[in-house]
Amino acid sequence: MTALWILLLVAQAPQSPQFDHSKHQRVFPRCATCHQEPATGEGALYPDPAACARCHNGTVRPQVAWKPPAGPHPTNVRFVHAMIPMMIPPDPTAPQNCTVCHGQESGQWMAVQRVNMQMCLACHGVSTEHTAAPDSMCTFCHVTLPEAKDLTRADIAGFPTPASHRDPAWTTKSGHARAATTGGAPVAASCATCHARDFCLTCHVDAPDRKPIQALAPDPRSTAIMVRLKAPASHRTTTFLSTHGATARHAPASCTSCHTQESCVTCHVGTSQVAAAIPRRQPGSGMGAVVVRRPPASHGPDFALGHGDVAAAKPATCAGCHVRADCLNCHRPDAGSGPHYHPVDFLARHPAAAYGRETSCSDCHNTAGFCAQCHKTAGLVSSGPMHSNFHDANRSFSAGHGQAARQSLETCIACHAERDCMTCHSAQGGRHFNPHGPGFDAERLKKKNPQMCTACHGTAIPQ
Amino acid sequence: MTRGRGAWLALALAVCGVRPATAQGYLLRVDSRMQAASYRGVTLDSVPVTDTITGPSGGPTTSDGYAVTCFPGSAYCNFFRPGPEIAATPATVGADLTVWGLGVPGLSIHAKGRAGTTFGDPWPGTDPALQLVEGYAQYAAPRFTVQAGRLAISSRLGFIGFDGGQATIRAVDRHLEIRGYGGWGLWRGSVLPVTSAELNPLGEFRPPERTVVGGGGVAWTSPRFDAAVLYHREVDPSVSYFASEQAALTAVVRIASGLSLTGGADYDLALGAWGNADATLAYTAPNGRLNTTATVRRYKPIFDLWTIWGAFSPVPYTAVGGSLSVTPIRPLVVRVTGESYTFAATETSTPLVDVENSGWRFSWDATYTPVASFAVDAGYHADFGPGASSRGFDGGVTYMAGERLSISAHGSTLDRPLELRFDDASVQTYGLSARYLPAPRIRLELDASQYVEDRQRPDAASFDWDQLRVSARVVFTLASKPELRGLPPAVRAMPVGPGGTP
Repeated sequence: MTALWILLLVAQAPQSPQFDHSKHQRVFPRCATCHQEPATGEGALYPDPAACARCHNGTVRPQVAWKPPAGPHPTNVRFVHAMIPMMIPPDPTAPQNCTVCHGQESGQWMAVQRVNMQMCLACHGVSTEHTAAPDSMCTFCHVTLPEAKDLTRADIAGFPTPASHRDPAWTTKSGHARAATTGGAPVAASCATCHARDFCLTCHVDAPDRKPIQALAPDPRSTAIMVRLKAPASHRTTTFLSTHGATARHAPASCTSCHTQESCVTCHVGTSQVAAAIPRRQPGSGMGAVVVRRPPASHGPDFALGHGDVAAAKPATCAGCHVRADCLNCHRPDAGSGPHYHPVDFLARHPAAAYGRETSCSDCHNTAGFCAQCHKTAGLVSSGPMHSNFHDANRSFSAGHGQAARQSLETCIACHAERDCMTCHSAQGGRHFNPHGPGFDAERLKKKNPQMCTACHGTAIPQ
Repeated sequence: MTRGRGAWLALALAVCGVRPATAQGYLLRVDSRMQAASYRGVTLDSVPVTDTITGPSGGPTTSDGYAVTCFPGSAYCNFFRPGPEIAATPATVGADLTVWGLGVPGLSIHAKGRAGTTFGDPWPGTDPALQLVEGYAQYAAPRFTVQAGRLAISSRLGFIGFDGGQATIRAVDRHLEIRGYGGWGLWRGSVLPVTSAELNPLGEFRPPERTVVGGGGVAWTSPRFDAAVLYHREVDPSVSYFASEQAALTAVVRIASGLSLTGGADYDLALGAWGNADATLAYTAPNGRLNTTATVRRYKPIFDLWTIWGAFSPVPYTAVGGSLSVTPIRPLVVRVTGESYTFAATETSTPLVDVENSGWRFSWDATYTPVASFAVDAGYHADFGPGASSRGFDGGVTYMAGERLSISAHGSTLDRPLELRFDDASVQTYGLSARYLPAPRIRLELDASQYVEDRQRPDAASFDWDQLRVSARVVFTLASKPELRGLPPAVRAMPVGPGGTP
């Protein structure tokens, strides 16, 4: 997808002649009095300031500090006044010859303006607006931007924006991409008039592979025309994160105008097949889109506690952004770790979390190697007779622990070994208390693993 | 311990001296952590019945005030003294290595290992000193992936580790992924086999041989719907009986933009009973400022068949809960979660003992970020249920000096009453933590927290116990193509476009 939203922010620079021609309409009956070049093709375009001082000497008229512009007028137009004799009938001294191009519609003498490009087009038989002129006409009047060396960045920034560039479709393949290749030339002249290769690099990461871009000469000034790469509308939908992979897989070329492989690997770490189809950043490529890794909308505040289903239902989805080490950071806890998955004081508060099983502790912790080992060190395991009564909040707990045990058996075995329970619950000794409760399927268990039965029943497993 | 310490140091030196291998590409991430902490338990003691006296509450105590339990016919009474203070400094170095470009396109090697030791008193999880979490060779093609070595699989049935092989076939056109695996098992929640002595601190019954695991699954995906069916079995080869056999179904339905239903259930084929199940309806507003979920779930523990625990008929609980995360104003995010659960009937008769059979948990927290470099967090949590409860406040202030340095001051309070023992502990913590990135691929973390603990009991076993816990962490990454782990710094320094560029 080559959908780019390019906005050309252009403002016409105001033209404010320092010399007020209209105030001097009664003084100068001829243009050539001051402007000699149009008449002869030789001499200065502007008068000598000393000529102004003949009147503006402080006595006749106030002194003025007018100075002619230094150097030639910066332009990218091929026209020079010396061409006038070829364009307009001879009699260069006639004042009306200047007003053909520089006179205002009012027709008032010395009411002048910079040349109206529409007049040029009209004479040359072009009826469109200036910026909509046929591609072939551009080079007739203009040099390419790199050739217009006198233009400043401000001048370039002031270029008028063609109406076509304001079309939302201009950024698509059918827009500026097609226009750039119209006419059979490597790049359309209309592009080269206002733009250079550096301008394209603002967005195009595939610039080295784009012939029209390579056909443009480089010119850093071309970035004076500001463009801002904005995400296409499709990228802003909430489903884009989950669906863009298919687009990238089936039509990678649609991504490669703005994205390089670096865009992919900002988030993706495991889908090399898709990313491999996207070219990598290379010398001469543009900056393209800046990708910021963001969690999908589904990754809400409690997603960490309940992501198991999503991970199991579509494992490839996780693998797109996560490496296995990310999982192992939590699912294989590190003995040396400080606050991480659990809050800072979790060791102190873990009894409530363990009893209530807010999460499945055993997904990450081995109950024997982690819980029992630590509890043993802390003196919290049952290592002797069962009448030590650690649970002293109720002196009869040993005799009535059944409900607590069936509710929190995982917690019990963090301190108690099987032999503790078999002291009373074995069919072969002790008090022969039956531990089997709701849902116990003796036949199934005997079929799956009768060895478990023999632990309490020996070889006399009830039929 | 000396051998373990030596192994740890050897790995640390090896990591420090690592040089790019001859392979075309590699990525090595090293994570070193050290924590100085202490804890204090209890010590079982006894006293002759004749030496006991009547305490203030009328019950028997030792002469120095410890409440004792005297059983009829026994000449001695038991009691628990406060245990010794156990101070330990566990340290680990973990390395995560991936090597590719081995001459065969698609072939790569992955390894994740850890070396650990404890300075001072013992600390759980540091034996054995060297642990291989994963280590396998992988050949990946567009249609399939095969792996061989030590593998860990994440699924609804938990993390399953084994030494063996796995094959995954992707029928992309049919949106199917089919997986099968098999090998010699590691015990759940560890990287050690069930025969390992480190996993049997209480000397329980254990199979004499490693279990043989096998399983697989089929996952089907579509833009609106994902589903997977999983199967896993473990067999004790010494007797050819099942150690476990489970199946699970899980699914995700994307109902509409931002609205999804996620759920699943697992069935214990060995016991013939349903295990865990859950369903979550989640909604995320398009602007991301509202995220809410409603969940119904069932929890029931799974035990291996070589233990007797499954025969004790543990009962499940059913919970209903929800969460809400909202951004009422741009710099403030508020999160609220809550859940209520009730255990199924245990079908026991315990007239002398009455324990809770339901519980609830609730928490809220908020993050206020008035400026990008400053954040304030505050929250409250409460968890009341059978066995133990907890509630407390916590909060912190974080200052972020750019992306490279953040400093936080944090504190918390905790009340932790136990249901089955006189032990109403209260803990206050306060501390400082810092995170610093001196270079793009190096991260340093440091935390120092003071714990002020008060264990309240109506006898002499009540005690105060304070400690300073310090943890440090260094993470660094070495890679042959570091740019593959993120954008170049120059690009990362570019401002994000309005509205967030994709």
